Amino acid sequence: MRSGGYIFRKLVSAVALLIGVTFISFLLMVWFGPDLTYQSLGKNPTADQISEVRRQLGYDRPFLERYGAFLGQLATLDLGHSDSTGEPVSRLMARTLPVSLALVLPGFLIGNLLGILLGLWSAWRRGSMTDRFIMGASVAGMSLSFLVIIILLQVLLCTPWGLNLFPARGWSVDGLSAYLYYATVPTLSLVLITLGYNTRFYRSVMVEELNREHIRTALAYGADTRAILFTHVLKNSLAPILTRLLFSIPIIVISGSLLLESYFGIPGIGKVTYDAITNGDQPVLKAVVSLTAVLFVLVQLAVDLAYRWVDPRVGPS
Amino acid sequence: MRGLFRTGAGISGFVIISGFALLAMATAAGAIGSEWWQTSAGAWQGPGAEHWFGTNRLGQDIFARAVYSTRTAFEVGILVTIASTLLGATLGGLAGWYSPGWLDESILWLKGVLDSIPFYLLIAAIAYAMQGSPWAMHLGMTAAFWTGTARLVRGEVIRLKEREFVAAARAIGLPGPLIIFRHVLPNTFNILLVQATLVFVAAIKTEVILSFLGIGTRDSISWGVMLAESSQEVLAGRFGNFLAASGFLFVLLMGFNLLSDAMQDELDIRGQTA
Repeated sequence: MRSGGYIFRKLVSAVALLIGVTFISFLLMVWFGPDLTYQSLGKNPTADQISEVRRQLGYDRPFLERYGAFLGQLATLDLGHSDSTGEPVSRLMARTLPVSLALVLPGFLIGNLLGILLGLWSAWRRGSMTDRFIMGASVAGMSLSFLVIIILLQVLLCTPWGLNLFPARGWSVDGLSAYLYYATVPTLSLVLITLGYNTRFYRSVMVEELNREHIRTALAYGADTRAILFTHVLKNSLAPILTRLLFSIPIIVISGSLLLESYFGIPGIGKVTYDAITNGDQPVLKAVVSLTAVLFVLVQLAVDLAYRWVDPRVGPS
Repeated sequence: MRGLFRTGAGISGFVIISGFALLAMATAAGAIGSEWWQTSAGAWQGPGAEHWFGTNRLGQDIFARAVYSTRTAFEVGILVTIASTLLGATLGGLAGWYSPGWLDESILWLKGVLDSIPFYLLIAAIAYAMQGSPWAMHLGMTAAFWTGTARLVRGEVIRLKEREFVAAARAIGLPGPLIIFRHVLPNTFNILLVQATLVFVAAIKTEVILSFLGIGTRDSISWGVMLAESSQEVLAGRFGNFLAASGFLFVLLMGFNLLSDAMQDELDIRGQTA
């Protein structure tokens, strides 16, 4: 009974969030967005043509009806056509999303893995020179602008002023070696961008875990340190680690690809979004913003329900 | 707070920020940097005694532009920090005080909604709605950053609510809002201070990205604008803009991060990175 109540409450709040994110997207990009009437009209349109276009764009209908139509578009993934290329938005997204995932996911995983290892090491050697060095480097990394990291790596690895091993921009991937050729520098950038934040976060998780009594007892009994660190500490930190991983996927994939793809000229969803921002391509922009937010809400719901399933203590508060 | 200056990190952070703040004030007063737009020198001059970081493609002194950008950074940082701290403290305070209840639920809902939209996209959407207004950036960052402050304040207010001084204030019949703003929120000052340093850092870093995306600083210059320009220039081997902007940026952000860390240790508060 209580379990059913918990699931029901989570579902209700997820629906409320879905209404919220779609409403904000609608408000910002459709209702308050610029009047698009004259974009699709030629010179000197007649009054009839104007009212015809306004009818097509739905400008003559009341607020709720237009919001309903917007929800219908999202639900059916019938998102209209890009203003600049005329390609259907859903096809555009289906075409570019795989590129972004291929570009961003390895860096995302490496950045988290390195962060976990450095955090564990730092927490284990808490207070030592190693810890202070790792933490100092993390703060320094967090003080570097993402753009600075990208430009620096590009100069060092892709130009004659550095090692000149990789292409400065572009993407024509047809196999593993081509993939490594084009993706290495963006991946390294993403790892360096996220590493400082990750290390700090995971260190605080591990410090808390290392202070628990069962770990202290195991250490006092002289159990193998490596076994303690990698089985007991790491295993018990899985919950915060997984939460962070899941919650940051939509943000890292979108924000990371937005930056990396627009900088390195890679034709993924981030480049599409960047072009939509610069050209004011409303159908693309509103699709990317609202679908990302919807995805994020659904991930949150899935995480909540999964926790409840894994650990029944979670929930009824 | 005195312990803040016991550590080298705390002191250096404070000194760095003060130095930059003076620079920003001197620039705002017109004492230095105001010649940043002058194009009298030749284009692409190398570094030298006259132009420390050389000149850009218009023949403007890059060092003067970097100095003037300090003012832009502080403008963005201070405005966004003040706005999101006020908003976060008010809404977080109300949510905590009226928790559990419909007001708390509504504020949490609003926070959840804004947190669900990756904030570059949220800002891009706001910039789209505001059609090139230079304030879209400030508004967008405030909309994205107040939620972290609100979350921390809400938790603290829920704790403070049970304390005796609040019971006493209630007992003498003070109205709820008066207790929140006069007696409870002042006790969250340390949290607000720590969070403010983190928001300041986030605002300056975000300005850089937004300027690169073309929805940041308009009609002025900033380190973000300089870095965006330099992204084309470095491929031609011109590093003046890049070195000047990234150097200034790094030192100021490092100062804020050092101070923020020292504060978090001293006050035993964990902020939430915006």
